[in-house]
Amino acid sequence: MKGTIEIKNLNKTYARTDMAESLCVIENLSLSIKSGEFVSVVGTSGCGKSTLLRTIAGLEMPTDGEVLCDGKEIRGTSPDRGLVFQEHTLFPWLTVRKNIVFALKSSGRYGKHGDTIDTLLDTVGLTEFANSYPHQLSGGMRQRAAVIRSLAVSPDVLLLDEPLGALDSFTRMTLQDEIIRLWQARGNTMVMITHDVDEAVYMSNRIVVMSPRPGRIAEIVDVPMSYPRNRGTSDFAALRTKLLKRLDFAHEVVQDYNL
Amino acid sequence: MKNRIICLLPLVISILVILQYVFVPNFREFTPLDQNAPTNVWVWFVGFFALLLGLWNIAAIFSKKANDRLRKSAPLFAVVFLLLLAYDYATLKTGALPQPFVPWPDAILNAIIRDRAILLTSLGHSLRLLFTGYAIGVGLGILTGVAAGWSAKVRYWVQPLTKLFGSVPSVTWLPIILVLATSLFAGAVFLIALAVWYPVTATTMNGVLSVPKSTFEAANTFGVSKLGMIFKVAIPASMPSIFGGLTQGMSIACTALLIAEMMGVEAGLGWYINWQRGWADFAAMYGAVVIIAVTFFAVNAVLDLIKRRVLRWKEG
Repeated sequence: MKGTIEIKNLNKTYARTDMAESLCVIENLSLSIKSGEFVSVVGTSGCGKSTLLRTIAGLEMPTDGEVLCDGKEIRGTSPDRGLVFQEHTLFPWLTVRKNIVFALKSSGRYGKHGDTIDTLLDTVGLTEFANSYPHQLSGGMRQRAAVIRSLAVSPDVLLLDEPLGALDSFTRMTLQDEIIRLWQARGNTMVMITHDVDEAVYMSNRIVVMSPRPGRIAEIVDVPMSYPRNRGTSDFAALRTKLLKRLDFAHEVVQDYNL
Repeated sequence: MKNRIICLLPLVISILVILQYVFVPNFREFTPLDQNAPTNVWVWFVGFFALLLGLWNIAAIFSKKANDRLRKSAPLFAVVFLLLLAYDYATLKTGALPQPFVPWPDAILNAIIRDRAILLTSLGHSLRLLFTGYAIGVGLGILTGVAAGWSAKVRYWVQPLTKLFGSVPSVTWLPIILVLATSLFAGAVFLIALAVWYPVTATTMNGVLSVPKSTFEAANTFGVSKLGMIFKVAIPASMPSIFGGLTQGMSIACTALLIAEMMGVEAGLGWYINWQRGWADFAAMYGAVVIIAVTFFAVNAVLDLIKRRVLRWKEG
């Protein structure tokens, strides 16, 4: 099985010019992610969740500790670990189709991948927009295109950095379903950063709750619900409340009655 | 109805230009030997455009597209012909503008036709000089711009240079260049290339520097090679900015070209203007000015066309 990730005692500090001591972003974090698992990482801003994801992607190097993918230490980026950002990073000078072709050719997987470009475009309803430039698409369509561009090279792990953060809530829910469908069809590992607790509960097998300054794992919560999930069930609500409490956002509301 | 009248306006005024030229008496008598004696060339010239406008008006009746485009351009054309009418009236008809320093359109056209061989040679020389210098300047500018945008070390050395050449107009160096250059042509090419190099370097460098980091990171996750990063990511992403430099560079190049030709190079349209001024052949001098204006306008129009083609992925 490919796409396992093993993080052992990861530490990440940044030297800062405005402070005497360096800033510790991640402290002693260990986590293992199974092949084909959908793991979400939630936490308030500044908890180091993006740094964690970028380290798995190979864009940042650990200060201490190690990050392994399929038993091998991560030393840089690889087409085996795709990354989708919050702001779409489609190349604006290429059409949607050419963006995908670019990714395939750069990774040396042109003509070797499982799905054809047309199939991918079709799964997210972008067939008609294959020859459109990114600026001609809506925000949701751009994110769809970015996701399938990353999936086109058949990565073992797809890393999503708040992929739906900039979208309106309806587009967001539609894309959540589409991403789950793509994931189930391919069976690759997914690691998603989000600050939306609902999204985490709706999409993932496991949720990693991080606490800030320095970033560490506060709790790992299993989501034992089958797909497709229903946002209206009491199990869903209970899990959601549990997570919000863990993040310190679910204080008891004390009502004052003045008669 | 109102639109129809506006569409017909340039045609009507162009016919007025001809009638005015033919029937209003001239400010003085001309002998047939007079070099600037009025001819029918101006009538043919304006008549040609009147005919085109007439055909366009007929086409506008049948084609909505032709009609819309004519309606959009008609006021501008009308004013252009009105200005030509006023110009002809103020020169040939009344001599209101000081004579013989301001020749009338017919005299200018005749001067162009009379001197066409030498004008063509001059135009060829000017264009050869312009494009040789421009191509070298653009090539080197993109090269240094990308290198400076890419590497902080290169930037450290290139930035002071762009600051120096950005604040000192390149024609300042002309006297030195003309003294040192092995040939006047080579010197002028160097001057134009230098003039173009600065804006292209600056805009290319800024373009590369302002490519979002995430664009490079995304390319990185696909395993793009280092050369690919430069040629397939950094350069295409900076194209809007590079084209800013290309446009700016072309306008500086045109200026540098004319100054070089007027100050030292003994060929080209700039030289021709000076030469005819020496002979006090004002019609020929004006003719060269017209040709320069039309040429530079066309060169910039072509550049704009290329820009719009290359940047069609850009918003708006």
